[in-house]
Amino acid sequence: MTSPSPPAVGLTPPLAPRQAPRLSLRGRRIEGLRLVCWAASGLTAATLLGLLALLAVQSLPVWRHEGVRGFLLGDVWFYRGQRFGALPMIYGTTVVAGIALLLAAPLGLGAAVFTAEGISGRARLAVKGAIELLAGVPSVVYGLLGVLVLRDLVFRALRPFDPLSGDTLLTGGVLLAVMILPTVMTFADDALRGVAASQRQAARALGLTRTETTLRVVLPQALPGLLAAVLLGLGRALGETIAVFLVVGRMDNRLPESWLDPTPVAAAGQTLTSKLGGSETFLAYGDPLHWAAITGLALVLLLGVATVTLGGVSLAARGASGSASRSSRGSAVPSSGGGPDASLA
Amino acid sequence: MRRWLDRCFWGLTGLAALLACALLLGIVAFLLHRGLPALSWSFLVQDTVGAGSGGGILYQLLGTVILIATAFATAAPLAVALALAATVYARGKGTRRRFEVALYALNGLPSIVLGIVGLIVFGKLLGWGKSWLAGGLILGWMILPTVTIALLERIQAIPRRYFEAAAALGLPRGRIVRSVVLPQSLGGLISGSLLGLARAAGETAPILFTAAVFSGATLPSGIRDNPVLALPYHIFVLAQDTLDPEAGTRLWAAAFVLLALVLLLGLAALPARLAAHEEARHG
Repeated sequence: MTSPSPPAVGLTPPLAPRQAPRLSLRGRRIEGLRLVCWAASGLTAATLLGLLALLAVQSLPVWRHEGVRGFLLGDVWFYRGQRFGALPMIYGTTVVAGIALLLAAPLGLGAAVFTAEGISGRARLAVKGAIELLAGVPSVVYGLLGVLVLRDLVFRALRPFDPLSGDTLLTGGVLLAVMILPTVMTFADDALRGVAASQRQAARALGLTRTETTLRVVLPQALPGLLAAVLLGLGRALGETIAVFLVVGRMDNRLPESWLDPTPVAAAGQTLTSKLGGSETFLAYGDPLHWAAITGLALVLLLGVATVTLGGVSLAARGASGSASRSSRGSAVPSSGGGPDASLA
Repeated sequence: MRRWLDRCFWGLTGLAALLACALLLGIVAFLLHRGLPALSWSFLVQDTVGAGSGGGILYQLLGTVILIATAFATAAPLAVALALAATVYARGKGTRRRFEVALYALNGLPSIVLGIVGLIVFGKLLGWGKSWLAGGLILGWMILPTVTIALLERIQAIPRRYFEAAAALGLPRGRIVRSVVLPQSLGGLISGSLLGLARAAGETAPILFTAAVFSGATLPSGIRDNPVLALPYHIFVLAQDTLDPEAGTRLWAAAFVLLALVLLLGLAALPARLAAHEEARHG
């Protein structure tokens, strides 16, 4: 059935490149379709690069005005005085995302261990489905719940520290933790499921309990994927705007004396995203330098998120290809693997 | 001791999973509970009165539909072209890898950055002011990776013998694309689009500066300076100022409608997604 000559179809590109006869009129039309496809790809690439270039060009005045160091490490943002230091916002974003990770990573990884190793069949599908849906809840809905529920809870919890309101960096962080939980869970679950079943069977046959199997055999192998899950969650936390905006208080952070000093966490703060989403973006619209500062913040945010996300994606791909080569399923169809797709939910 | 540890471990992880699921149910139940008094058919088909304290959310709903329809019209053709380029026309692993990196980079873009870039492109450079088309185009770019990846996965899952059969018939490549690849992967396009639209319907940040206003817009009649009302933006604005209890109830009801819209779109895509994922791994 299969000929020994180079197979026309079915390899990683489903259709071999030179398979179409080029002489017929038909062949020409086919090449037309191909042209359209490549044009669309070029457009996408151009958009991505153009977006980066646009932000870079528009923010140029502020890099000249403050210097790269001055903009990134300057601790005063006072636009009437033309002082643009991004550090307070970078600090806010770091703190908020850090709190979110601290809460969501253990919870998400633990839950993923349960869904991947502890249950199967319908129960697993039900939980997976619920988590997929949870990932789709709009951030403005989370924000609303944050404003009307979480804010009061945080205010009450912080009462010993005498906070001004419930709008704090802590509130933003806790809300973000809930929001990134499905991301962490989905990726971690994919990573754990990627470990070949034969490994578990072997461990169980040696007399290990299921816990020991999970901790000593499955987790070490899934480690890159689990790390990727956390990184992708972090990427989402860094870039999230609306929910954080509603509960973070939107006062430019006063940097603490020491980086370990926790007091700003219980006070109103500002993140890169809440700054960008706020009224200052409209204010800045007419003033080239101020506008450059705003687009500079956007550029910093973009580069930070892109680094974290692409790091996570490449880790996930590595984990997936590693476990795929270990398992001997021999599927004809190369699945796109580990799960970066799940983040698209 | 070992068995005791075993139980403890599963108890703890199970608790974590339970908590995560309870969050979803809790959110839905809570919104329903708070919004129910204002939920009715007339809430969906009436114009808003007095900054959210009366009336319904008709134009917010219509605005959101306009935005996601535009986003779909932008993203779907591009996604088909990208997926075909990556699976059928790309030569070698390197090209495909670049496709994936570009898609993940696009997917990782923070939505507020898209909003700012949209403001530069459509507001500053094209001078559109706030326009539904700007919002729809931005949302379209935002969901492009979601749609494309779903389609890609489905194309890669087409059984190899289908291509072999088509090739054995002597069909040229374009014909195989039209008769095998596209029909067989239609499900991926649909489920990916549903998922993307669910995401687009709930997004606020990209339309904040480019497309949405809180009041004073109905249906657009052109492109320039033709903003729309939108459900997420409506909730976003009201959430910052919720002193009026009557507006509060309507706000919860609006949030419930948005959540229901998003969850329904997501739910429609769910069986296909779960099947694709679970099968790919264990089929």
